[in-house]
Parts: sequence; structure tokens; C-alpha cells
Amino acid sequence: MELNKAAWVAAALALGIGGLFAHGQIPAGDAASRQVLKTAAVEYLYPEQVTVAAGKASDVTLHFRVAEGLHINSHTPKDEFLIPTTFSIPDGVGVRLEQASYPAGEDFTLPADPTTRLSVYTREFTIQARIVASPGNHLLEGKLHYQACNSNACMPPKTIPVAIDVIGK
Amino acid sequence: MKRNTIVLGIVFFILAIFAWVGWANWEYRKQASERLLASSAHGQLVPGQAAEGSEGVPVFNSPLKGKLAPDFTLEDLSGNKVSLANYKGKAVLINFWATWCGPCKIETPWLVELRNQYASKGFEILGVSTDDLDRDNPKTLAKDKAEIAKSAQQLGINYPVLIDGATLDKPYGGPDGLDAMPTSFFVDRNGKVVAAELGLTSKDDIEGNIKKALGE
Repeated sequence: MELNKAAWVAAALALGIGGLFAHGQIPAGDAASRQVLKTAAVEYLYPEQVTVAAGKASDVTLHFRVAEGLHINSHTPKDEFLIPTTFSIPDGVGVRLEQASYPAGEDFTLPADPTTRLSVYTREFTIQARIVASPGNHLLEGKLHYQACNSNACMPPKTIPVAIDVIGK
Repeated sequence: MKRNTIVLGIVFFILAIFAWVGWANWEYRKQASERLLASSAHGQLVPGQAAEGSEGVPVFNSPLKGKLAPDFTLEDLSGNKVSLANYKGKAVLINFWATWCGPCKIETPWLVELRNQYASKGFEILGVSTDDLDRDNPKTLAKDKAEIAKSAQQLGINYPVLIDGATLDKPYGGPDGLDAMPTSFFVDRNGKVVAAELGLTSKDDIEGNIKKALGE
């Protein structure tokens, strides 16, 4: 009977230890590799779907997030060579961009050059898009063009899709 | 008694299977991790502090270090063809920059000073612009070139500025290309890459690598 108990205890231990193994360990290299994974500098958050009055101008607030530690130029950067953040909608998709309103950038200085002030977006920001949709469902793919940097280096300019299902009623 | 032996046998069998699964899982993850690290060894701009060195500089492990710098021929701002091979016997700093790159503007004055300081020892800088060029539209192309020239002039660049650096994306940046500016490669007199930097470092770091390229 005692041995019977011991067998069951051993079985429970085996399952427990096995569970730990099967859960998998993350080697140090894996954690390090995650750090060098390419991360999109800007991510479109929402809305995924909007319903607007067909043929009438409607305001839609688009939410974006800049990755931690990075910044992108605002729509009105302070240097002529810096690339502004812009939102656009391609022609002929049933939805027209009448106007895009951008937030003011926040002042930012690079630690190595405290005298130069940049106008940037960090963390979450929104763009107010005034759109006019024709009747029907439109799977819209807008475009956000930006150029991202951190304090030491800059990534090449990039355009990301802004996918929204626009329903014109 | 016999039943207990069977139970214990099964227990140890299960334990062995779990141990084997755990080991196999760990090995698989380890190999996947190594593959990922190897594929990203060309250096990338990574958000956050985790991937950065102690001074906030992105880690850059260029696979070109210790190898011959890939040769290239690019146009300068006057339309002259310039090849890396023209500089054989000299130490060369290949500096990838762009007009839209803020940190590049901080380091450029350092480069100008260092070029003045070490030119007599056989040192040259090639400033390779990675700005986009519209080759299909002559008018836009002329405007693109004028912008680069204007920026170079504003920065006081006194070394050759080469354009269309995007064509060197793969040879110098690996499979994913050059991900961030500024990126610099220090080439010794024998054409070998002795050091590489990604992102803004310091004038002292750059000077140290120039000396390395000069063999000092």
C-alpha cells in the first residue's frame, strides 16, 4: 500500500517536472534575439470600420502609435530637409480625402545637440481625416508616410497602410 | 507488488519522454534564436534601450568586419564616376548619410574636422547619400541632386559626396539593407573593413576607428 502511494507521488512529480520541461525554456539567446527584431516604427491602431453619410464630408479620427524610444517628424518639421508625416488616400477607391488635420508636434532635442529643436510625434497620436465616401462598402487602404529616428540614428522614410472599412450609407 | 512496479515503470517512461521533449524544445529554440541573431547581424535601428549599448548607441555587428569592403562605382554630385578602388592604398571612411537624418548633421562637422586632420596621412571620406533619386524623371532627379548638394554645402562637407547610395544597400547592409543612418565603414589601406559604426557615436570613437584604418 505504501509503495502504491509512493508510485502515485512519483507519477505526480513526473507530470509536474515534465510539465515544466514541456513548457519550454527560453534560452538567453532567444531573449536577446527579440531585442534585435525589426519593429515597425508606427502602428495604425483604429478605427477598423466607420459608417459615414454617403456623399457628405465626415470627420474620422485615426489613431496611431509610435514605438517606444522612437519619434517621427510631425507634419510641420522645423528643418526643410526633414520629411513630414502625411496621410493620404489613393484616388479611385470610393473614398476621397478632403482634408487631413494633424496635431502640433512636441518639441524634441537630440541629447548630442541640445540647441536644435525638432517637432515630432511620440507614443500615440491622432490624425483627423475629413473624408467623403460614395454609397457602399469600401475597403480603404490609406497611406501614412513618415520617417522615424531615435536619439542616435534614423530609419529610411516609410509608408504604412492604413486599412479601414468605410461604409457609406 | 507487480502493479506497483508497472506504475513506477510507466512513471519513469513518462518522465523520460517529458525530459526528451523538453530538451528537444530547448534545442529547437536555441537554434532558432541563433539563426535569428545571425540573420539580423547586419545591424538594425531598434526602438528602446534594451537593444542599445551602454551609451544608447544601437548595437552594430556588421558581418563585413574583417572582410574586403565591397567595391562600388557611384556618381558624385558633378556626375563623375567614383570607385572605391580609386582609393587603394588609402584609409577610407565610407559614411552613409541622408539629408533627412538629424544625427548625420551632428556628426558631419566632426567628419570634416577629422578629414582635415588626417588627410595628409592618406585618409579620405566618401559621403554616400542614401536619399531617394527619381531616375525616371529628369526634372525630379535634378531637383533631388540639388537638394543633396544644398544640404552638403550647408553642412560644409569638403569630401566627395556620392549619390544613389541605395544601390549599396545589400552589399553593405546585408539581406535587409541598410536600416539606419548614419552608418560608417572604416576601410584600411588594404581595402579591409576594420570597423563599422551604426548611429551617432562620438568624435573620439570615429577618430579611434580612423586611426585603426590608418594602421596607427
